[in-house]
Amino acid sequence: MAALLASAPLLALVVRAFADEWRAPALVPQQLGLRGVQIAFSGSSAEAFGNSLLVAVATAMVALVLAWPAARVLGERRLRHPAPVFLLLAMPLLVPSYAVGTGLTEWFIRLGLDGTLPALVAGHLTFVLPYVVLVLLSGFGPRLTALEEVARVNGLSPFRRLLWVTLPAAAPTVGASALIGFLVSWSDYGTSLALGGGRPMLPVVLLPFVGADPQVAATLALLFLAPAVGVLAAATRAGRMPL
Amino acid sequence: MTGTRWRAGARWRAGARDAALLAPSLAALALLFGGAIIGAARVSLVPLGQGPTLEAWRDLFDDPLFADAVLFTVRTALLSTALAALVALGLALAVRRRGALVRILLALPVPVPHLLVATVAVVWLAPGGLADRALGGLPVTPVRDPAGMGIVLVYVYKEAPFLLLLVLAALGRGHQESDEAAAALGLTPFQRLRWVTWPTVRSPLVVGSIVVLAFALGAFEVPLAVGPSNPPTIAEYAREATQGDLVSGQSTAAAALLLSAVASIALAAIAVRAARDPQGG
Amino acid sequence: MSLRFLASVTAVTLVGVALAACGGGDSDVGTGRAAGKPTAAGFAPTLAAARGQTVRWWMYGGDDKVNAYVDDTVAPAARKLGVRVERVPVVDTADAVQRVVAERRAGKTSNGSVDLIWINGENFAGGKKAGLWLKSWAKGLPNSRYLDPKDPTIRTDFQVPVEGQESPWQRAAFVFAHDSDRVRTPPRDLDGLLAFAREHPGRVTYPAPPDFTGSAFVRQVVAAKGEDAAFAYLRELRSVSYRRGETYPKSEAELSRLFGDGQVDFAMSYDPAFVNSGVRKGQFPRTARPFSLADGSLQNTSFVTIPANAAHREGAQVIADLLLTPRLQAAKADPDSIGNPTVLDLDRLAGRRGLFAETEDSKYLLSDYGRTLAELPANRVEDLEKRWTLEVLRQSP
Repeated sequence: MAALLASAPLLALVVRAFADEWRAPALVPQQLGLRGVQIAFSGSSAEAFGNSLLVAVATAMVALVLAWPAARVLGERRLRHPAPVFLLLAMPLLVPSYAVGTGLTEWFIRLGLDGTLPALVAGHLTFVLPYVVLVLLSGFGPRLTALEEVARVNGLSPFRRLLWVTLPAAAPTVGASALIGFLVSWSDYGTSLALGGGRPMLPVVLLPFVGADPQVAATLALLFLAPAVGVLAAATRAGRMPL
Repeated sequence: MTGTRWRAGARWRAGARDAALLAPSLAALALLFGGAIIGAARVSLVPLGQGPTLEAWRDLFDDPLFADAVLFTVRTALLSTALAALVALGLALAVRRRGALVRILLALPVPVPHLLVATVAVVWLAPGGLADRALGGLPVTPVRDPAGMGIVLVYVYKEAPFLLLLVLAALGRGHQESDEAAAALGLTPFQRLRWVTWPTVRSPLVVGSIVVLAFALGAFEVPLAVGPSNPPTIAEYAREATQGDLVSGQSTAAAALLLSAVASIALAAIAVRAARDPQGG
Repeated sequence: MSLRFLASVTAVTLVGVALAACGGGDSDVGTGRAAGKPTAAGFAPTLAAARGQTVRWWMYGGDDKVNAYVDDTVAPAARKLGVRVERVPVVDTADAVQRVVAERRAGKTSNGSVDLIWINGENFAGGKKAGLWLKSWAKGLPNSRYLDPKDPTIRTDFQVPVEGQESPWQRAAFVFAHDSDRVRTPPRDLDGLLAFAREHPGRVTYPAPPDFTGSAFVRQVVAAKGEDAAFAYLRELRSVSYRRGETYPKSEAELSRLFGDGQVDFAMSYDPAFVNSGVRKGQFPRTARPFSLADGSLQNTSFVTIPANAAHREGAQVIADLLLTPRLQAAKADPDSIGNPTVLDLDRLAGRRGLFAETEDSKYLLSDYGRTLAELPANRVEDLEKRWTLEVLRQSP
């Protein structure tokens, strides 16, 4: 029941996307059509989709690499006073993204980096990295350490330990944190606009239609949700997500 | 003697190694985040084409609308977070032994951006929306409700599943074993809830709630779509400022956002303290 | 890479051929002897420098017909001149201006990422005051000969002298909409609107300033009644407004949705063709009709401006000139396109006036907006928005 309540509202988006005319008091659309699709896929939407995908994948990857050692230290509780580190890590999440975008733009322009893909990745990293560390650390703990110890005693080289023991054991959390990282970057409007310098990004193309043109907005929203729902479903199907 | 010294040395080395492992993340964040904050502070203090001035900050504190905005923002954010945490906890207890399908359906709102959730809320709940059409009238009108009911509703729908995921991750096999052991020892369900389950979920719930609270304090998408025209939230107030006077508006907006950031960080510090160990005991 | 290179080579060749072929007469842009005016000859170096440039035009991105006009009509015409147009959609023009401000703050005085902005009013005035725009370029556009330089809505923008820092593009008039099935005869004037609201409590509202449309409605009342009387009027209207004035729609789009779903009886917009596009989008019933009030309609012009640090200022000028060609202005006036009245002075068009004769009457467009109310000075806009928030919105009912 609750599960239905959580998922059903989103179905309205599908109907809205293919309804050329749907005004009150009609419960079903007065007219179905493809106007939304035609408009949503004209202009720079395809390029925006590509840019956003590239930036989101790159951001999630970089975040995973940077977060891995930190998550190990925190996950294995090796620190005597973890609270300050946590607060430091979480700080970007506590600040409106709009403020970060405004604050970073000027530096990136000065460095001549604005509008480049690396600049967008770096900007998104500000929000993605904390999420990735926070999710990733739950994959490390005494159980994994014990497994690795067994492998070490049995003479596995560090590389093989990582490949055969650590990665498989941590896979679910790695998957989950990569997903979260991808999503946070994928849907970020503030920094994409501020640092993109006019480069088309999906949220930037979508936002003007929200409100102004519900049908086009719903169509772009479906495009927006596709990779997210796809990855979520695939990951859960593989039974590897801590869902 | 030498043993102690050796251990101290080892501990120091371990500490240094841990610090080195933390360094990449913390350095990246310090650079990006620190840069952003310094940049925003500069914008608030040095309007375009002028010397340093506190004018933007003075304007902010003189504006009765900003005081309204702060009160309203804090109220809706606290209410949203508390309700989302309660719902998440209830759902977690209800579905912890359910299969994957139920969990996927429940998790569906997590990957959906806030803006889209707010849009969907308008499609369903606005006057003239689907619920209105189906029921032939709405008993309550959450969208644009002057008390901010719409904002709270959207945040609960969006954030409760996020907290649920964190809580369910904590309620893994380890917890199940302890819970069964406690049952075998004859503890009542309530006692098990109080002494076994609560300590397990407290920390992820607190950490997650901080993130939710901070987001609700700083975001403008949801209030823009379903919040009342008055009062605005702090982030909306900042956005409106940039739409007014081009130069001074940018400074006022930066000041408002910085203030909300400081408030969030202070709240988080208090919460982390209250939770003692943020990773759970 | 190679494809793009090939395309630009082709474009340049084509332009060469076209230039050689026409030499005068009917080309879109005054390319030399055609007009016999110094401005046209003076424009040749700009045209030459513009070739191969990509102009990033930052503009409001939520109107599919405006987007389609730029992508399908302006861009192909520009391609013939060797200029590519890249539309950067924004939610609010202020976002584009903030970008220029950020570049100025960072000391980026050339090679900026904004080449052209669709703009007017406060945004233009603020940027002009801060010295953000390229100076006196618009007077040199060959097609500016079709404009009436004495027309106050061309010479000034919200009473701020344009001084060649922006070039006109669109005309706007403040219009209302009613559903002829539900409300047979719409209110005659503002007092009629108040009387209607008293008779039908909860059926009238307007977007809350600082939304562009809501702010324009407030100015419409101020222009018609004077400031103090206007605020008394708005406070009175509040008590019989939609949801007793406790809350207002936040945007024109939201008001349009409420109107389309039958929650309120009137919609309004500064886009004179908004009923046309509302019906096309399926958002308004086919029985929706535009109307204006006898007190008069606010009218203004929107422009395109070029930031002083734009990377492709020549290309941007070529586009601005292209937007003023009679053919493109006529295409824009077509109700099937944007349906927006031209900024050109029809008396100066001579032979090309016929282009505009084809624009037939549409029941979704007004042929006459009634008495013109001039826009208020740009610097009063923000004060009025503030006063509205404090005296109308925040006042307890």
